[in-house]
Amino acid sequence: MDKPPLAGIKVADFTWVWAGPYCTLQLAHLGADVIRVESKTRVCVTRLLPPWPEMKPGGVNRSGYFNQFNQGKRSITLNPKAPNAIEVAERLVKWSDVVVSNFAAGVMDRLGLGYERLRQLKPDLVVASLTGYGESGPLKDYVAYGPAQVPLSGLSSLTGYAGWPPMHVGLSYADPNAGAHAAFAILAALWHREKTGEGQYIEMSQWECAIQTVAEGLMEYQMTGKAPERNGSRDRLMVPHGVFPAKSELVLMGMQIDAWVTITVADDAQWALLAQVIGRPELAADPRFATLEARRQREDEIEGMVAEWTSQRRAAEAAAALQEAGVAAAVCANVKDLSEDPHLNERGYFVELDHGEVGRRKHAGIPWRMGATPCAVRSPAPLLGQHSDEVLRAVLGYSAEEVAALRAQGALE
Amino acid sequence: MAGALTGLKVVELGEMVPAAYAAKLLADAGAEVIKVEPPGTGDPARRRGPFPGATPHPERSGLFLFLNTNKLGVTLDVARPEGFDLLLRLAAQADVLIHNVAPPVMDRIGLSHARLSEANPRLVMTTIAPFGLSGPCRNWRAEDFTLWSAGGAAYLNGWPGRPDMPPLKTFGHQAGLQTGAHAALATMAALVGRLRGAPGQHVEVSGQEVIAAILEMNFAYWPYAGLVAARYGQRPIQPLDFLECRDGWIFLCCVEEHQWRAFVEVMGSPEWAGEEIFSDRLKRAAHWDALKPLIEPWVREHAVEELYRKAQARRIPFAPVSTMGTLLGSDHLKARGFFVEVRHPEAGALKHPGPPARYSRTPWELRMPAPALGQHNSEVYGTRLGLPASRLRDLAQAGAI
Repeated sequence: MDKPPLAGIKVADFTWVWAGPYCTLQLAHLGADVIRVESKTRVCVTRLLPPWPEMKPGGVNRSGYFNQFNQGKRSITLNPKAPNAIEVAERLVKWSDVVVSNFAAGVMDRLGLGYERLRQLKPDLVVASLTGYGESGPLKDYVAYGPAQVPLSGLSSLTGYAGWPPMHVGLSYADPNAGAHAAFAILAALWHREKTGEGQYIEMSQWECAIQTVAEGLMEYQMTGKAPERNGSRDRLMVPHGVFPAKSELVLMGMQIDAWVTITVADDAQWALLAQVIGRPELAADPRFATLEARRQREDEIEGMVAEWTSQRRAAEAAAALQEAGVAAAVCANVKDLSEDPHLNERGYFVELDHGEVGRRKHAGIPWRMGATPCAVRSPAPLLGQHSDEVLRAVLGYSAEEVAALRAQGALE
Repeated sequence: MAGALTGLKVVELGEMVPAAYAAKLLADAGAEVIKVEPPGTGDPARRRGPFPGATPHPERSGLFLFLNTNKLGVTLDVARPEGFDLLLRLAAQADVLIHNVAPPVMDRIGLSHARLSEANPRLVMTTIAPFGLSGPCRNWRAEDFTLWSAGGAAYLNGWPGRPDMPPLKTFGHQAGLQTGAHAALATMAALVGRLRGAPGQHVEVSGQEVIAAILEMNFAYWPYAGLVAARYGQRPIQPLDFLECRDGWIFLCCVEEHQWRAFVEVMGSPEWAGEEIFSDRLKRAAHWDALKPLIEPWVREHAVEELYRKAQARRIPFAPVSTMGTLLGSDHLKARGFFVEVRHPEAGALKHPGPPARYSRTPWELRMPAPALGQHNSEVYGTRLGLPASRLRDLAQAGAI
């Protein structure tokens, strides 16, 4: 089989929680050899969080959160407080092309793995450091937590139901945003290194990276003196534009799980198509609805009419009928919908590999395909320290006796 | 100084966000990007706004101006054979062609990797499609919110404890931005691979799949536990909520017990904080209805900045609910020189977000504002492709450029 695009690229992964691991997941997806350095003395929080198989907690290898975002990586454990651990970390750095970390500002320096030291070890390294606030500026030592990075970015002030308080977006969105941008920056730096032989340091503030996602709001504020108002899922230029209730047949633990279909009408022609599909063809040319301006005056009424139609149908049926006619629509998917989505399954998106402790479970896969250098998830997420021996022996060149001695000294905790 | 991607040549056929954002990431890192737009109307992002004074103008759309910095702009009707020929000539000189032409339109105009690789076997062609290039939904239409929903993100956002409130869109064009960022990284990987011996190739990116990949722990709930993450579930830990200050909103975030204890001290150790029902983070979540009204009056006496500073001084990770005004005025972001003012001949001076990542050797740079429609036609077609002026006139008259 053809090799993936980053075959032969080696990554020393000093990341944890989500933003950093999401970055190195991309590199693993692309075929890089990613060795994640963990510690038994301070286990990555995502190893401890739910979901677990059948919601039974226990151990550090059974979290779906960790197992989703660490597919295809190897794991070694080092105790940063043990005297010989740094020597192991340094050998790993010398082996690698890329070093990634997302500890708080200053932590890598205190571990003895600051950029100046790293580039002494290997001058052409590409080193990426992700921190919450960046490594300079008056707030550089502020504490950043995933969920708080969304309000900090400005997204919360722009997101919410009309007239309601600011809201979250449902996930620690600044993390994968930073991770994906970091992966891009690392690849751009690798491109430069392939051309010139030069490595470099990439400094990233998750906050600054997240501000990219509110650029439209910043522009509006500067252009009109006002920020966009929170307005639910409505859109200025598309009416209707939102989620509409659908028939739900799913009951879990005695609770009806609600179902929704997302419908957007981009122009008057799509409005006419929608009117046909919902059995109200007379609305197409009705001057009360035929133009965007008219529809904006009657948005509540229109949403009511559309909801009346959608609520009698399953979301997938409603979406298919609208798409058949040429109107943009989709199931507002919950995670069961996603997992069972015929389209995603036919495309082979999901990954199910045998994992030592959770068996075969579906995980989200790689969102791209490459014709000449196919990408695939080659192994499930590692058990904690699963590859310590293998990596120390085969990658870093320690003898069996040396590994045993390191273990006896507590360096591999 | 040169950027990381100086020397890389990119052709972009972008409509709205995803391909344009991917190409912006490449351009801001130093690549030369030629953006191809339909003659007359241009990229629909030109009609999207926001606009100065809320008055539509194709050269003043805030979304377009943000997404298209550092690019050369040409017009070309790729649906016409003479237009498509010119596209092939542009692709022949490029390293990358990145686009989000909808799959049914690709079929109609014959835009395929097979044809482009004939013109340039070393080309990396990146196709961004809403649902990818295979499967039953291949030809489905999608706006940004369609994909945010189809990928599972919209279902996750709602109001804790309020199942009557529907799933909610996140502001802006988040599906497009994420799809663009992932397309940029996949494209770069193909380019790095090419320097290491791989041929040119086709990279395909699905917007729905990108969103399904960023759902935090939520996706795993179904395959691991047969559970569906719901938008209206109460938060399992508190405080983790929005509260109103004197002059705006703050996000209270006490994930660890020591953070809560420090926060209680910051509040002056009120008596109620010692109640058994608030004694750990799970209990505080279970009794948040009782706890929140006790904290609210104290929070309301403070200014956002003041409370943020007080909390952070005790290592409590509160964050302000930043507004567009507080972002632009932030001393921290100013000290880091984050926002970059770009002067645009039609839209005036506007502050753009600065680098998403800072390179020590190859600086990120906004070298020029977004192009006017067709601004670089003669430079690109005349100087680079060597078309004679008479041919350019004919193409323009025929409406091809």
